[in-house]
Amino acid sequence: MTGSGADVDHSWPAVFERRLIGKRVPRVDGPAKLTGKAVYTQDVRLPRMAWGRLVPAPVAGGKVRVDLAPALAIEGVLGGIVLGETVRYLGQPVAALAAENSDLLEDGLAAVVVEVVEEGWALTREQSLAPDAPRVGRRGNRSGERTRGDGAAARRALAECAATIEGTWQMPIQHHLCLETHSAVVDYSGGESATVYLSTQGTYGSSFEAAEELGLKAAEVRLVCEHMGGGFGSKFDLGIEGLAACRLAKQLKRPVRVANSRRDEFLFAGNRSGSRQQIRLGANKGGHLRALVAEVERFGGIGRGSHPGLPYIYEVRESAVTSSSVHTSTDSSRAMRAPGHPQASFAMEGAVDLVAIELGLDPLLLRKRNLESEVYHRQLDRVAELIGWEQHAHRTSPASPAAGERSSGIGFAVSTWGGGGRPGARAEVRIERDGTVSVASASQDLGTGTRTHMAVVVAEALGLRVEDVSVHIGDSRLPRSVTSGGSVTSACLAPAVQDAASQARAEFLKHLGRVLDAPVGLLRLEDRRLLGPADWELPQLPAAGLDWGQACALLGSTGLSAQGEFQRELASSGVHGAQAARVEVDTGTGRVAIKEFACVQDCGLVLNRLAVESQIRGAIVQALSHGMLEERVVDGGLGLVLSADLMNYKAAVCAQVPEIHVELDQDQGRGVVGVGEPPVIPGVAAIANAIHNACGARLFETPFTPDRVLRALSAATGKDGGR
Amino acid sequence: MAADELTPGISRRNFLKGAGGAAAVTGLANRAVEASEAGEASVASGADGPLRGTLEIVLRINGHERPVQVEPRTTLLRALRERLDPALTGTKEVCNGGSCGACTVLLDGEVACACSVLAIDARGREITTVEGLVEKGEGLSPVQAALLEHDGVMCGFCTPGFTISLGALLDARPDAPEAAITEALAGNLCRCGTQPAVLAAARELSSGGAKSDQGGGR
Repeated sequence: MTGSGADVDHSWPAVFERRLIGKRVPRVDGPAKLTGKAVYTQDVRLPRMAWGRLVPAPVAGGKVRVDLAPALAIEGVLGGIVLGETVRYLGQPVAALAAENSDLLEDGLAAVVVEVVEEGWALTREQSLAPDAPRVGRRGNRSGERTRGDGAAARRALAECAATIEGTWQMPIQHHLCLETHSAVVDYSGGESATVYLSTQGTYGSSFEAAEELGLKAAEVRLVCEHMGGGFGSKFDLGIEGLAACRLAKQLKRPVRVANSRRDEFLFAGNRSGSRQQIRLGANKGGHLRALVAEVERFGGIGRGSHPGLPYIYEVRESAVTSSSVHTSTDSSRAMRAPGHPQASFAMEGAVDLVAIELGLDPLLLRKRNLESEVYHRQLDRVAELIGWEQHAHRTSPASPAAGERSSGIGFAVSTWGGGGRPGARAEVRIERDGTVSVASASQDLGTGTRTHMAVVVAEALGLRVEDVSVHIGDSRLPRSVTSGGSVTSACLAPAVQDAASQARAEFLKHLGRVLDAPVGLLRLEDRRLLGPADWELPQLPAAGLDWGQACALLGSTGLSAQGEFQRELASSGVHGAQAARVEVDTGTGRVAIKEFACVQDCGLVLNRLAVESQIRGAIVQALSHGMLEERVVDGGLGLVLSADLMNYKAAVCAQVPEIHVELDQDQGRGVVGVGEPPVIPGVAAIANAIHNACGARLFETPFTPDRVLRALSAATGKDGGR
Repeated sequence: MAADELTPGISRRNFLKGAGGAAAVTGLANRAVEASEAGEASVASGADGPLRGTLEIVLRINGHERPVQVEPRTTLLRALRERLDPALTGTKEVCNGGSCGACTVLLDGEVACACSVLAIDARGREITTVEGLVEKGEGLSPVQAALLEHDGVMCGFCTPGFTISLGALLDARPDAPEAAITEALAGNLCRCGTQPAVLAAARELSSGGAKSDQGGGR
């Protein structure tokens, strides 16, 4: 039996009718993850599986000749491939090797000889822009240069401003730091079909790439991603790991696993591009932003890098912005959670704050004057309340603590994002005669809770408990779904699931009405029961109804299935958010402690409040880690990345994580939006503004390490002529 | 404690590079020979190079004696994840350098990074992995249940390590204060940002900790 359902009502249940949607539901795959039973790509074990890894180039630019023979001479080293001769960036994979096990693989990797003819490279901006610099970008070392706005008009407007500020904001490259490194297991021993296990954000799409690489028909390649250990934008496609695993499997005619080492991840698994933003911003006496003149540089290695443009979010009457990519001999940036946005936010929110201080205005007030949307106004007021802004002593000018004193400060920043759904995702809901219920789609759960909200939607529609619904995802043979990028997964998939579940419910009731000789319109599914009207005697339906199992037993032997697809009216797009940070600066040591964060985030229809709150808190943890700790450090002289391990690339741990107050700002009547990206945007800026508010030190460069804080403090003290 | 100091005079780092000094090779050879007395070994030792070959040892994991073929250099992490058959893959490899806590296991009740312990050095010790936390009883341990309820699990790759670290702390100090909690979890990295929820779970479990409204719960 298959649902047809053109006339089925698939709208979201009214707010008061929701038993599960929008409530706090523990994630359905939590127990598997907590007990070690969840199988990630790196946990896949197959008979005769070979262990492979890529070989990173030891040089940032030049020609290489790879000699695998010494490695292949080692007993237990099974095979290898050479990937190319021209090296364009430090650590570019030049070969891959496979062995019987990981210990022998390391012997093999150590024995590979890479002969290098070094050619020019540039690891830093200064090296790249030097007059005699070697060419490291395909279209020159500076590319994609463009100007928006009228420079002369913007400069004229700036000259007329009551207050102008200027500064150069800089951010180094940040890494995704997925805990599960990029990895693939290709189960192919020759023949016509293959199964590929991939740690991916695109289960469905990657299957086609794998088929192409293996030279097999798309229908004969199954891609599996049951669980994955983080992506954050770096795992959209098959990747060089998947490609190498495919080629090695073809060569060896046995299953091959290729997983990056942690060092590999720091060298060639992508990153969030760095940035340098030179800004002059001016406002009139009332704090209305009137002029912006800016120059933006993106540092995406050999790639373009990301930046959404200036002015960012705030409205400025006249602006002229030049932007370009400055290339270095490092791996290309990839999408990373709101690509380019935290960078733009750091500079813009900092500049806005400086204007407020220059004018002696409350930064909250100045923000509201330059943000049109009422949503921002109410959100800013609410985060101010949550963080205690009204009780704060220094609202219109920074505190000036005595040397060595600890001082508390508060800073603000806002965010926006599109998100929303689009056609492409499908889902199937099945009800079996034995009472089992399942929902399936070729999506993936990045840790965002996709599995759980699928179960929630189906259980809500069928009057079941969340645990009554089994969820099948992470398999390209299931109904197609979208790649998880741009915060679209929930908004694409949940409407398709709701559509399928609504059709399954309608079809089920129609069938039961027929079998029980009852009017369909009077039957309902509630509390795991099929119920008729309370005061009606139906010949075949007892007053207490039928329990779920009894009702399902009335289905035919093949049960019931319904296919659903994306429904535009069940999704919305566009969200706003506001955040506030409270910090304590130790002016003696330059150490900054993040004491508290508050976030008010609008996110459309909430499917699982617990997961949404976790995702927002998680974004804030990532942002504070970005602002306080993270930096790719290169040695331009020696041609090395110095931060290619977790001892030298720090990320936040529990001790650095403060209380984070999260409030969801819901507009009734909206559909699902998705909230992965927006809450990661404003955190760094909010911290920088809070540090300035605490002690007058403006941090123009991340991470906000004690040495930078002390330098900024002494600059501030110098300017003020001592305090 | 650095991995290099596990046994005086023996450097794991040098050993794994196959460039160990004579003292290191001799020390390891002794342990390999000692290991071979208990089981099958085919380890070729020489004074001028690293040891090669495998030996069968028996590890006591989650209360079961498990035979496993390893090389003298094989880490406990790789023995668990890669050499055991069937493998125990709940313990994760993230940095392979003792910096992230994802491979945290219990050795005789004490937390250890399985990537920084040689398998042959884990002989005779009680090894507990995340899979072992539920084996005795059915269902989730209190730590696991609290992490689930507070949503201290997102992608889940760090979760086994956090579960072991937090469980060990609360076993030793059921009333662990906030400072002890953050110290015990200081070596566990999470990228999704479950830290607020993990802390909320820890505070709830620890009678000495402050209650918090964070990280959900109902």
